[in-house]
Amino acid sequence: MAEVKTQEFRRASATALANVKLQSYLGRSIGSFDGARAEAIEEISPQRWEELRLQARVIKRHTLDNLDYYLGLLRERVMANGGHVHFAKDAEEARAIVGRIAQTRGLKLAIKSKSMVSEEMGLNPFLESIGTEPVETDLGEYIIQLAEETPFHIIAPAMHKTREEVSELFGEKIGRPGLEEIEAMAGAAREALREKLVSADMGITGANFLVAETGTVTLITNEGNGRFCTSVPRVLVSITGMEKVVPSMEDLATFIRLLPRAATGQRISSYVTHVYGPKRDEDEDGPEEYHLVIVDNGRSRLLADPDLRESLYCIRCGACLNTCPVYRKVGGHSYGWVYPGPIGAVVSPVLVGLDRSKDLPNASSLCGACRDVCPIKINIPHMLLKLRSQLSEGSPTSTKKASFVDRVMARGYRRLMSSPRLLGMVRTLGLLAQWPFSRGKFIRRMPLPPFSRWTRTRDMPSLAPKSFRQIWSERLEGEER
Amino acid sequence: MESLGTPPGEFIASVREALGRKAGPPERPYDRMEEERASVEERARTMQEGLAVNRRVNVDELARVAALRGWVVHRASGVEDAVGYVYQLAEKMEARRVVRSLEGVFDDVPLDDALSSLGASVQVMAREDESAGSFNPTDADLGVTGVDYAIAETGSVVILPRRGVSRVTSLLPPVHVALVKPSQTLESLDDLYLLRRVAYLRDGVDAGSYMNFITGPSRTADIEMTLVVGAHGPREVHMVILDWGL
Repeated sequence: MAEVKTQEFRRASATALANVKLQSYLGRSIGSFDGARAEAIEEISPQRWEELRLQARVIKRHTLDNLDYYLGLLRERVMANGGHVHFAKDAEEARAIVGRIAQTRGLKLAIKSKSMVSEEMGLNPFLESIGTEPVETDLGEYIIQLAEETPFHIIAPAMHKTREEVSELFGEKIGRPGLEEIEAMAGAAREALREKLVSADMGITGANFLVAETGTVTLITNEGNGRFCTSVPRVLVSITGMEKVVPSMEDLATFIRLLPRAATGQRISSYVTHVYGPKRDEDEDGPEEYHLVIVDNGRSRLLADPDLRESLYCIRCGACLNTCPVYRKVGGHSYGWVYPGPIGAVVSPVLVGLDRSKDLPNASSLCGACRDVCPIKINIPHMLLKLRSQLSEGSPTSTKKASFVDRVMARGYRRLMSSPRLLGMVRTLGLLAQWPFSRGKFIRRMPLPPFSRWTRTRDMPSLAPKSFRQIWSERLEGEER
Repeated sequence: MESLGTPPGEFIASVREALGRKAGPPERPYDRMEEERASVEERARTMQEGLAVNRRVNVDELARVAALRGWVVHRASGVEDAVGYVYQLAEKMEARRVVRSLEGVFDDVPLDDALSSLGASVQVMAREDESAGSFNPTDADLGVTGVDYAIAETGSVVILPRRGVSRVTSLLPPVHVALVKPSQTLESLDDLYLLRRVAYLRDGVDAGSYMNFITGPSRTADIEMTLVVGAHGPREVHMVILDWGL
């Protein structure tokens, strides 16, 4: 499995926050995705958008609730189309399957179009280790591969790289120094990749949607690299999470209307590619062999939890990242694994283990913006709360019980809030205690941990001179008069 | 090849266990999947009748939306106009090597002689054609294809590769020309997927191995979110609508 650094969220996000260059860049760039999405919705009309979201939710709910049935149907139909279907329970098994296909057929050069699952699997280093050269062909992924980094964003993997950094990288890694214009850099990548694209013997893709009824894999792309991967190599392998199934071909219309708009604000992307197995005898070209690798890798744990199941409705558009006030400050790498942002904060802990991702469910203000923008209306805040409660009360994926301090605090809070008299007393004490520190409406600095840790990065609102209860009773008196 | 990894039965059973449901089809059926084949076909027929009535409206909409999505749209009034358009384009870009597919539309719009008169060599990307092999198709500077459908809603053309139609004719060259007949125009994505569903229910594996939508030129915005037109696919795409009763 790809290296897991979710436990380092605090440190990584502190580093990101202190990175002035990244902050100024994130501030400028991410908002444009969000703006483009809003414009595209305005164009199709908010009412229509709402209809599409509800349709998509109904389709996803039905399919996920009956996933075993649809996986069976999908397998049957892909095989009827002449393809092979393999199931992998975890990342290791998925790597072994792809490795076996490459080795038994002597495949030496694999061109890849974007696949998040292959990131989960750590597929590239594995392919290298068995002597098959993996080449990422999406420009963003290519940059990331050259820089030996992980994707920063679901749909814009290299969005954290400035043109200067890309220029330097291309000079160093592909012998194209001194490029200044972005267009020239894209051109250099195109030239460097063209030869690989036309000579590869293995194509590897992800899948945006799988149609059970017709055994079809659907890819939504802009650059054209996905078309090369599905057209040129003699062996084609699509790797997918098991949740990507929809029942019928006719369901695709809904999702193709939603995904590009939510992702980049495009009405449709340049290419929508549908693969129904290997080439047929009469075809002029296309893969001789087709393999579909369906991966669980922890997804059945999400499926088994009725509260978390809907995280599998996700179509990986990245809208929740673009809108999230936390992601917009800490960026993608802080989350420490393949899926960043709000959806990553739900999915990663379950896929890699809650014990080592306990900061992720807390990396949210629960403002609900993610749910508002989600094209499938996934209730991310609810799931974050559920994970927080699992963190303090224990869960199947966490052996931890609530800590002594947590329990004492919770009991104390309950006692305090159920007694108006006690609450009043504590408030009076608080007013006295804050007096030396409070300036206006805020306390800017407090001595002694844990209080000092709070005020190191933010202000604490002071206790108001009059409590709500006081104002309330004064108002009531005023009205009675 | 045998299935690798976890045996399918075991994998699917573990998914079923996670869901806590019994084997078998969905308890609450999904209408779309319950629909009889005859009824799906009936819907497709009704849809096509509607298309025939609204053809002008749909073609106008196609031309409008396609232009917004980055196509250079030309509505050709006759054979000469269509051939002339491609001729002028090839002349302007000084095309030396042209690839095209082998399909019926080139009987309606014969391009080879006009392009040859410019000194361009034309290669047909099909096994059946003897001219194949005169140059490496990766060196082509212009690709011309017909289409199977065009979608007014999205400004897309739909290509179903098969005998005579290579997957890469519309992909390798930096400039692609798609020849669209008005009768191929559909109103929406729903129409297209309904037709493809009918084809699959009827023909199964013979419904084809591939379907591709093309909507405008290839593009990327992966560096600083700045749009660059022309990534791995064509940087320039022309939609020539054969606007004379085809």
